[in-house]
Amino acid sequence: MKVLVLGLDCATPQLVFDRWRQDLPTLSGLMDQGIYGKLESSNPPITVPAWSCMMSSKDPGQLGFYGFRNRKDHSYDGLFFANSSSVKEDRVWDILGRAGKKVILVGIPQTYPPRPVNGDLITCFLTPDTRSQYTYPPALKAEVERIAEGYILDVDDFRTEDKQRILDTIHSMTVKRFRVMRHLLANRDWDFAMMVEMGIDRIHHGFWKYMDPGHPKYEAGNPWENSIHDYYKVVDQEIARVLAGVPSDTVVYVVSDHGARSMLGGICVNEWLMQKGYLTLKEVPTSPTPIGKVEIDWSKTMAWGEGGYYSRIFMNVQGREPQGMIPAADYEKVRSELIAGLQGIADEKGRNIGTVVHRPEEIYRKCNGVPPDLLTYFGNLDWRSVGSVGMGSIWTYENDTGPDDANHDWHGIFIRRSPGRSGRGEVQGLRLFDIAPTILQDFGLPIPGDMIGKIIA
Amino acid sequence: MHTGLTIWFTGLSGSGKTTISRELEMRLRERGVRKLEVLDGDVVRTNLSKGLGFSKEDRDANIRRIGFVAKLLTRNGVLVMTAAISPYRNVRDEIRMDIGDFLEVYTKCPLDTCIERDVKGLYKKAIAGEIPHFTGVSDPYEEPINPEVVCETDKESVEGSTDKILGRMEQLGYLPPAGAVEYAPEEEEKVRERLASLGYI
Repeated sequence: MKVLVLGLDCATPQLVFDRWRQDLPTLSGLMDQGIYGKLESSNPPITVPAWSCMMSSKDPGQLGFYGFRNRKDHSYDGLFFANSSSVKEDRVWDILGRAGKKVILVGIPQTYPPRPVNGDLITCFLTPDTRSQYTYPPALKAEVERIAEGYILDVDDFRTEDKQRILDTIHSMTVKRFRVMRHLLANRDWDFAMMVEMGIDRIHHGFWKYMDPGHPKYEAGNPWENSIHDYYKVVDQEIARVLAGVPSDTVVYVVSDHGARSMLGGICVNEWLMQKGYLTLKEVPTSPTPIGKVEIDWSKTMAWGEGGYYSRIFMNVQGREPQGMIPAADYEKVRSELIAGLQGIADEKGRNIGTVVHRPEEIYRKCNGVPPDLLTYFGNLDWRSVGSVGMGSIWTYENDTGPDDANHDWHGIFIRRSPGRSGRGEVQGLRLFDIAPTILQDFGLPIPGDMIGKIIA
Repeated sequence: MHTGLTIWFTGLSGSGKTTISRELEMRLRERGVRKLEVLDGDVVRTNLSKGLGFSKEDRDANIRRIGFVAKLLTRNGVLVMTAAISPYRNVRDEIRMDIGDFLEVYTKCPLDTCIERDVKGLYKKAIAGEIPHFTGVSDPYEEPINPEVVCETDKESVEGSTDKILGRMEQLGYLPPAGAVEYAPEEEEKVRERLASLGYI
C-alpha cells in the first residue's frame, strides 16, 4: 500500500471545483473516483505555518511559529525565519519513517535545512539557493540537478512588470519539479511520497487581476487573461503523468494549504497606528520605507505592526519590551481598544471593510514561542497588510514591494482517491489538521493523541 | 534511519587524525549514533593490509582496501571514520567518487610541528634515513583541493576541530542539528529578500 500526496500551494476551490472543473480532466477524474471538498486552512492561512500544521496536525501556537518571520524574544529587532529547525513536532513522515516506511519528500515548506529522513528529501523555497545543501541524503543533490537540468527552488525577483519572465520561470520550475518527482517515484522503494508545487501560489499573486473580472484592475481581452487557466491545465497534465507511474491502488491526495481571492488593496497598518497615536517615529520618511528601516520613538509608542497577507500587531509593554510603555495592568484595556479601532477601519469611501482581529490565546491551544499580541485580517483578507511607512495614507493600491493581485483565502482544496474507501462526492467540514491522522490511518498506524485533527472517513 | 557516511581523515603522520577521530567517535556516540566504525591506518596495516610496504603502489593498494571496506560499511548505513595518511589526491578522489556519501577532513599541520610532536618517533628515524618513503620527509603529501573540513591542528583545540566536523555534518544533513540552525547572515538576507518580494513579509 502506498500513499501519494500532491500539494498545490494556494490551489483554490472556486477554480478547481467550479470554474475550470471541465478543463482539468485529471483532477476532476480524481474527484469523481473519490471524495473532495473545501479544506479549511490554519489561522493564519499562510504557507508557513500552514503546511507544517497540516503534516503535524498541530496549530501554529502549538508549533510556536505564527508566520514566516517570528519574534525570538521581546526585543524590538530579534526576529527569526521559521525553517525546518523551528519544527519541533513530528510531521507525518517522521512517524512513518520510524515505523520503517520509506518516504520521498519534495519541496515541502519548512524542510530546509534538510534533516535525515527514512528516504529522500528535497527541501523547499526557504533554501537560500541551489548552491546550498538542499537534499537528504546529500548525494541526492547531483542526481536532482542532472534530472532537472538545473533545479529551480522558487521564482526569484518576483516583483516585476516583466510578466513573461515570471510566467516562463513558473512553468519551467513546475515541469522540472514534476520530472524529478516522477524520477524518484520510479527509482526508489517508497511507501509515502509527497511533493508541494509552489507555482500555483506564484501565478495567483502575479496574474490574478488579468483573470478575475471581479478584480478592480481587470481588463477584458488582456494578453494574460488565460495565463492562470493554462497553467492549471499544465499542472493537471503533469499530475496525470505522475499517476500513470504509480500503482493503481495507491491512495492519492491532492491538497492545498489555503486558497486565493482577489485583493482590493493594502492597508498600511503602521500609518494607521501613527494616525491613531499608537506609534511615533523619530522622523517620518517622505517615501515608502520598511518599518524596520525607520527609527521608532519607543517612549511614545504603544504598538507596531508587520506587513504581509495579514498583520501581526505587537504591543510595547512595560516589563516585557525593553522600553515598554503600556503598564502591564492596562494591557487588556489597550488591546481591546486596538481591536475596536482595527475593526472600525473603513475604505476610502467610508465603508467599513469588515476587519477580523484575533487574540492568539483565543484561537490556539497553546502559545509557544513569542506570539503576536493580535492577528489582523483586513477586510477578512480582501485587503493585505502593508508594513511600510511614509505612504501618507492608510490605503494603497500598490503593494510596498510591487504589484500583487491576489490575497490568500481561508479554504484550500482536498481531493482523495482511495480504492479501499467507499465514500464519493463532495464532503463538508474538512480541516487541514485532518490530513496527518488520516494518512496514518491509511497505513494502519496508531494516531498520536495530541494530533488535533480527525480522520477523514 | 541514518544514512551511511565515510569521514575520511587525511594528513601527515602526527597531524592529529587519530586524536580527532577518537574525540569525534565519542561525541557521535553521545549524540546517539550507534552504527559507527573506525578504520585506523595503523591498525589496518597490521591486518587488512599486512605485508604491504610504503612504495606508491603499496600505499595505493592500502588506501584502496580501506576505501573498499569503508564503501561496504557506508552503503549498509554505518558511519565510518578512516584515519590513514592517504597522501595521494587521485586515490582519495577515486574513493570519494566510489562511495558518494563522503566527507573529507584534512588535518592540516606544518611539517615542522609534526616533526616536533613525533609521537611515534617515526620522523626521527625517517630523517636519519632508517625509514624509506616516509610522507613529508622522503615521499610527497598532496593536499586536498576541496575538503569538506580543514582542521588546522597547530592552531585549534581537538574539541574545536571536532565541533567543525560535527557542524559540517549537520549542515550537510548527515546529523540532526543539536540546536536550532540559523541562516548565515548573507543567506538570511537572501531568504528575506525572496519572502519580501513574494509578499509574505
